[in-house]
Amino acid sequence: MSSATTTEETHAAGGHGHGSKYPFLAHHFDTPAHQFDSAKLGMWIFIATEILMFGGLFVAYGLFRGQEQEMFHQAHERLDKIMGAVNTVVLLFSSLTAALAVRQSQVGDRKGTTRWLIITLLCACIFLVVKFFEYQHKFHDGLLPGHYFTAHLAQHAHHGHVLPYRAHMFFALYFMMTGLHGVHVLIGMGVLTWALRRNLNGKISKQYFTPIEIGALYWHLVDLVWIYLFPLLYLVG
Amino acid sequence: MSTAHSDHTSDHATPPQVEGHEDGEVHAHVNSPLFMIAIFAALIVLTVITVAVSYVDLGSANTFVAILVATIKASLVATFFMHLKGDKSIHAIIFIGAFVFLGIFIGLSNDDLSTRHEVDSVNGARRLDTTGVVAPGGLQVPAGPASAPEATQHVEGVQNPHGASEHH
Repeated sequence: MSSATTTEETHAAGGHGHGSKYPFLAHHFDTPAHQFDSAKLGMWIFIATEILMFGGLFVAYGLFRGQEQEMFHQAHERLDKIMGAVNTVVLLFSSLTAALAVRQSQVGDRKGTTRWLIITLLCACIFLVVKFFEYQHKFHDGLLPGHYFTAHLAQHAHHGHVLPYRAHMFFALYFMMTGLHGVHVLIGMGVLTWALRRNLNGKISKQYFTPIEIGALYWHLVDLVWIYLFPLLYLVG
Repeated sequence: MSTAHSDHTSDHATPPQVEGHEDGEVHAHVNSPLFMIAIFAALIVLTVITVAVSYVDLGSANTFVAILVATIKASLVATFFMHLKGDKSIHAIIFIGAFVFLGIFIGLSNDDLSTRHEVDSVNGARRLDTTGVVAPGGLQVPAGPASAPEATQHVEGVQNPHGASEHH
């Protein structure tokens, strides 16, 4: 994406070849449609690789859960369903606003695009704040992956409800899956901020809304992953 | 579609034909905002359903319902928010192709693990039912109930080469 941008800006500055009809058109593309289709095809291939990367974690989840159903069920009850549900609604709403940003850019409404992109970014912030409080609570309870798991010590001290043996495996998966997803939220915020900047700089038009479209596709992927993470981790364990 | 231009000075008086974009310009399929809000409403309803169902004990059907509802939600997002509907079919093929390969990944991994017999309750090691020899890839199993770490190391040194040759 960045290399295409550089090429395009170099081209716009150099001004050779295409004249002024399509200032956004990089010289290695024949037409705006050619450029748009190429960018989108590349993004979809990237999305496929992202699905496969998260897929590894989902496979690990599925196999361990098959062996440790009782442990997974008891451990998942330590997650906060309500916070997870709130975050689900926040992300679904941000997907809607991202789609609306694309829609407004398609009809050439720059202000509308800016508005929806900012709302999407605000939703991303809300998501991360909720996640922060969830993580803070898990850290406090010692519900951490692998040998960092210390919840059993606190349970012995307070004679509380004892988590089943190997519960650290569940929290390892929980932190790896939500952690990788959280990194994607941060990257997605970066991509959307980049798209927003281009929109504010007047680079986006009815003819050229690729940055908004591509940024929104990435954001929808973040939403898609969470659509599966939420029920598997918070609801059924 | 023509090949890449090496000549920067070439003009585009005769733009090459790109399927669906005869004039070479980008024509988006613009959805109405109301339609998109309706999709969002459907996603919220499905979220409420999946949370509500999680409070009812349906046994193993809970997992099935959760994955089914998640898949419906994901399909709605991909089809309408990600514009797979009305888009070039290659995008949908790539997207669904990723899930096909994920299915192969899950299927083969599950076949591997599910045919490794019982799980040792202490170490999470897998043993072969027939001989009790530790399966390749598993952790070492202590020899007896009173085994200490030293005993484990002992077993590791002696039994494993024997067991490995027996099972090939």
